[in-house]
Amino acid sequence: MSYTAKRLLLTGNHAVAWAVKRVRPHVAPLYPITPQTPILEKLTDFQSKGELEGTELLTPESEHSAMAACISASLTGVRVFTATSSQGLLLMHELLHYAAGARARIVLFNVNRTPASPWGFWPDQLDSLSQRDTGWVQLYSESPQESLDTTIQAYRIAELIGVPIMISHDAFYVSHAMEPVEVPSQQQVDEFLPPFACDHFLDPKRGQSFGAPLDQQNWNRSRREMAAAMARVFAAVTDAGKKWGETSGRDYAPLECYRMDGATTVIVTMGSMCGTAREAVDALQDKGNRVGLLKVRLFRPFPVAALKEALAGVSCAIVLDRNFSCGLGGILHQELKAALYGLKPAPKIHGLLSGVGGVNVSVNKIKQWVSEYAGAVPVNESLWVE
Amino acid sequence: MQEIIILGRGGQGAQTAGNLLAQTFFSQGYFVQTFATYGGARRGTPVSASLRIDDRPIRLRCNIESADAMLCFDDSLLDGNFLRFASSNALIVVNSTRPTEDFSEMGEYRIIPVDGVAIARDNHMGKVVNSALLGAFAATFAQPDIDTLCRVVEVSAPVKKENNVASCRQGYLQTHT
Repeated sequence: MSYTAKRLLLTGNHAVAWAVKRVRPHVAPLYPITPQTPILEKLTDFQSKGELEGTELLTPESEHSAMAACISASLTGVRVFTATSSQGLLLMHELLHYAAGARARIVLFNVNRTPASPWGFWPDQLDSLSQRDTGWVQLYSESPQESLDTTIQAYRIAELIGVPIMISHDAFYVSHAMEPVEVPSQQQVDEFLPPFACDHFLDPKRGQSFGAPLDQQNWNRSRREMAAAMARVFAAVTDAGKKWGETSGRDYAPLECYRMDGATTVIVTMGSMCGTAREAVDALQDKGNRVGLLKVRLFRPFPVAALKEALAGVSCAIVLDRNFSCGLGGILHQELKAALYGLKPAPKIHGLLSGVGGVNVSVNKIKQWVSEYAGAVPVNESLWVE
Repeated sequence: MQEIIILGRGGQGAQTAGNLLAQTFFSQGYFVQTFATYGGARRGTPVSASLRIDDRPIRLRCNIESADAMLCFDDSLLDGNFLRFASSNALIVVNSTRPTEDFSEMGEYRIIPVDGVAIARDNHMGKVVNSALLGAFAATFAQPDIDTLCRVVEVSAPVKKENNVASCRQGYLQTHT
């Protein structure tokens, strides 16, 4: 079956809005915030032209209310979309826990931006990474095309497993970068996403409820059930990425090994820095250096087994973090160390606080860090680098 | 790959110029990537747009640090703060009434002053200089194709379509050597 995808010049945010237009969620509660606002603007633009049929756009008074609307809409058994960034995501925090516990199948797009204070608009993943314990699946996107493709795949994963999914892309370098993006046809997306049906949903005629108070044992059971669901996410992300590849020609996996065959040193990172790292890897390989890139696309559930497999036999891993957990270090660095605990032989792991606050991470800097750290003795702490 | 930085002051249309150039190269079949400063930008403060052009997909997600060319909307912005992001022999097209000699102290750059305000005035565009400067840029950078650029300007201009196109073409012809 061939489809007529069209290639448009889109920013990362407008690519997400196109994905939403193709998915046609029933309800989309949204509140504007820089640098997410172009997603909402594009959706209202579609709506004003009558191109968002079947989607009810709600614009409540805050992100907290937007998430409350997402949860209640989702629990009636319909597709839901929302998008936010930074302060907005943090204002949703309480209800992120609620959504995950209620097994609401919400798809949320977050634009990674520095949380205040100080005030800033810069790409930094602390906003979403600090939500890592809320029970949401987390995927990180490198490019406008990947953001569009992942938004579509997320509905398939969320609905299969019964979990909320948060996708993030970096402010500025992805959200506001305009580049050619393949927009799939409506038929292509309709065939990829079968009509949504779930067993449990709110309906006054049925008399079911969600979120009722439970005793300790049953609350404990709810977490065990969430853990069991999370354990199925890796396979669902793999399957959705493959299936989407069959129809679009663009494959996705929870982890991507770029030029890792025979690599002794591997750069590990997430989001937009992966693109720049690819160029650094190519330049280093051209000079005979055995350097590869491990892109972490799925961050929650953290793909421990796959990370172990990918890094087995590698002598050095250099983690580039665009976030800083005060009092601990780079979050990807710390989680990777924990994931590889007990792996023998394990790579030496260096954690570099490289893109914190959105500072520019160039090809030359990555090349310089590789030459500086590939042979160095690792330390437990994440290191500030320039 | 070619990298271009457009400098201007908030409200002058530097970001729009970046998008128009990107659209033009894209219609010519190139891969492009453009992004602009945002957030803290206000009318009058320095803003910039960055543009990459290549014949293969662009994967870089970082700032331009050694631009092949710059298009500057205001000659008062042309100092070390911005010039450090230009390659040593970069082409720099600048909106200015000053003669070329005035810029000779700035380094090895190929600096081409263009009186964008005069061209805009000739075409009843008031102080809106971006179409004129884009035409001048296309002439000196030898790309994109001027006819494609004029078509993009015509489609994209919200008002005064004919004046914008005329301004763009005059900028091109006046600067073309």
